[in-house]
Amino acid sequence: MRLFDRYKRLTITASIFSFLIGSIGFYFVLTYVLTRQLDETLKSEQQEILAFVQVHNSLPEIQNTRHQWITVQPAATANEPARFGSTSQYLPDRKGNKEEEIIRQLSFTIAAGGKHYLITVNKSATETEDLLQLIVLVTICMVAILLLWHTLLQRRLLKRIWQPFYDTVERMRQYNIAGGQLLELPEENVEEFKLLHDSLNQMTQRIYQDYQTLRAFTENASHEMQTPLAVIRSGIDNLLQNAEGQEAIANGLSVIETATDKLAKLNQSLLLLAKLENRHFLFTEDINITEVLQNKLREREEAISAKQLLLHTELGDACIISFHRQLAEILVTNLLNNGIRHSKTGGYLRIRLSGPVLSIRNTAYSGALDNQRIFQRFYKTDPSSEGTGLGLAIVREICTAAGLSIQYAFNENEHVFTIVFNQGQAPMAGNSHPGTGNNRLS
Amino acid sequence: MTLLIVEDEMALNKSICDYLSAAGYRCEPVYTFEQALEKTDCHEYDCIILDIQLPGGTGLQLLRLWQQDGKRDGVIVISARNGLEDRIEGLQLGADDYLVKPFHLSELSVRIAAIIRRKQFQGQSIVDAGYILIDTLGKTVSIHKKTLDLTQKEYQLLLFLVVNRNRVLSKNAISRHLWGDDMDYPASFDFLYTHIKNLRKKILAAGGSDCIKSVYGAGYKMQL
Repeated sequence: MRLFDRYKRLTITASIFSFLIGSIGFYFVLTYVLTRQLDETLKSEQQEILAFVQVHNSLPEIQNTRHQWITVQPAATANEPARFGSTSQYLPDRKGNKEEEIIRQLSFTIAAGGKHYLITVNKSATETEDLLQLIVLVTICMVAILLLWHTLLQRRLLKRIWQPFYDTVERMRQYNIAGGQLLELPEENVEEFKLLHDSLNQMTQRIYQDYQTLRAFTENASHEMQTPLAVIRSGIDNLLQNAEGQEAIANGLSVIETATDKLAKLNQSLLLLAKLENRHFLFTEDINITEVLQNKLREREEAISAKQLLLHTELGDACIISFHRQLAEILVTNLLNNGIRHSKTGGYLRIRLSGPVLSIRNTAYSGALDNQRIFQRFYKTDPSSEGTGLGLAIVREICTAAGLSIQYAFNENEHVFTIVFNQGQAPMAGNSHPGTGNNRLS
Repeated sequence: MTLLIVEDEMALNKSICDYLSAAGYRCEPVYTFEQALEKTDCHEYDCIILDIQLPGGTGLQLLRLWQQDGKRDGVIVISARNGLEDRIEGLQLGADDYLVKPFHLSELSVRIAAIIRRKQFQGQSIVDAGYILIDTLGKTVSIHKKTLDLTQKEYQLLLFLVVNRNRVLSKNAISRHLWGDDMDYPASFDFLYTHIKNLRKKILAAGGSDCIKSVYGAGYKMQL
């Protein structure tokens, strides 16, 4: 439930409730006042009669009207106190229909000409009732209009008042801490939004700083590790010279060397990732991706034939993209290595560059890979595999840095990686026909 | 051949000196910016191995100074930073090569040899190792004046072995030289084995000796 709706529901309920109570109160007050007024008229009638009797010692001639009439009855005594009362009676209205009407009466006794009389002054309360009804009706209408107006106004106003909140949420949603920019929410006049913005600004600034520190740390740590690694590696190279004929020592050194190499590779990969995150690279060089693919495939020839992979390439015309040379090479190398490494021996490797769409497919050992985790760092399907588990993470980071996206799909026992290079920036050579291939997946 | 090793990490500097001394170079180790400047002020070197981060200044500053002085010593930059900018700047400032730490000493040795070939002998391109002659310009190898028919990888392998002759080279180091960092080692060892086997055959067929020795547990050694 939105805050609006909740607020609206609450205010409307409260308004109706208070209007209801108010109306009831108003009704009673009004009834009281109007009855008093009626009673005043009855009283003045009584005063008139009393005054007449005092002067003439006889009852006045009584002229009844439709709404006011006086009944005279003989009474036993003239000492009874005056009494107000109400009664209802069926009276013909103007059209002749009988209608129940409320009558207000004032009864009093009087002595005139030696006789005692009980005089009742009757007055129809219809007009009062009508007035009352009208007033109540007007009140209800007013209340209804007010509620409607209130609701409409509220919807408009609330939307306007809360607009900064929605703007803020949208900006928060779009904010990417790795983007290298602080979240700078604008200054607000409204106290609450000002508080919100200030707090968010402070919080993101703190997180941003921590993030920067951490990233700088990763980069520095990797740098610092290079020299000790160089010391170890060169030390091994020298020690090996004395290991001739001593197989055990040589073996031991080999093990250390392999581990050192792995560490060096890991370190370099982490460093590259840190640099990619820190947006160290510019993608402004014109790179012929077709050529890069051909070169890297040539370098991998032996690995491909060692795995008895059937290589199928469809590179088409030269595709020039705006990229970074080193990163283009790393991207292609990692994708090829990945394809070769995770292919079944005797399977196939298909590389197709159709326009700006590069797809690399290879036969799978087993089922589909987890699309969510495949690009994560250190995710390996086979923990004993020789890879660092960073290859695809690097591929994705390169794509992200270049503003591209990479897709993975599993299709009839083959893994398919697809990248669509930036066509806008990349002038295309020749007539390419992207999307006509049957093996293009998105 | 005299080399100047400018590297502030003592252990690394010593390792480099040890390896290159055994390869027949005369090595002078220095550890700071000042020392390096002092040495180069009064001596000439066939090749300078230069670290970028030094106490007292950077290797790039040294390069700039040498460039201003018109020095023509060969320089190979070794750096912990794999920064492309550093590499480009270094090469623009007159460095001949750039090697990222951690490197194999055999790799460093090959690079130094290449620089010296290019710089010192005015385009002298022959590597003369007894009966094996390698023309690095034409990329041809001859044994007893008979040209060997080698594939590109075999040529690369032979040059690497010859330059690092009489040294034990680990399979890792050779693999790295031939295929770069991105190869899976167990796989590349198989390729290496095949290449070594073929190379041996070709050398023997050309009348050479069985000079590529397997060092058990360690790797290979070119004995010349």
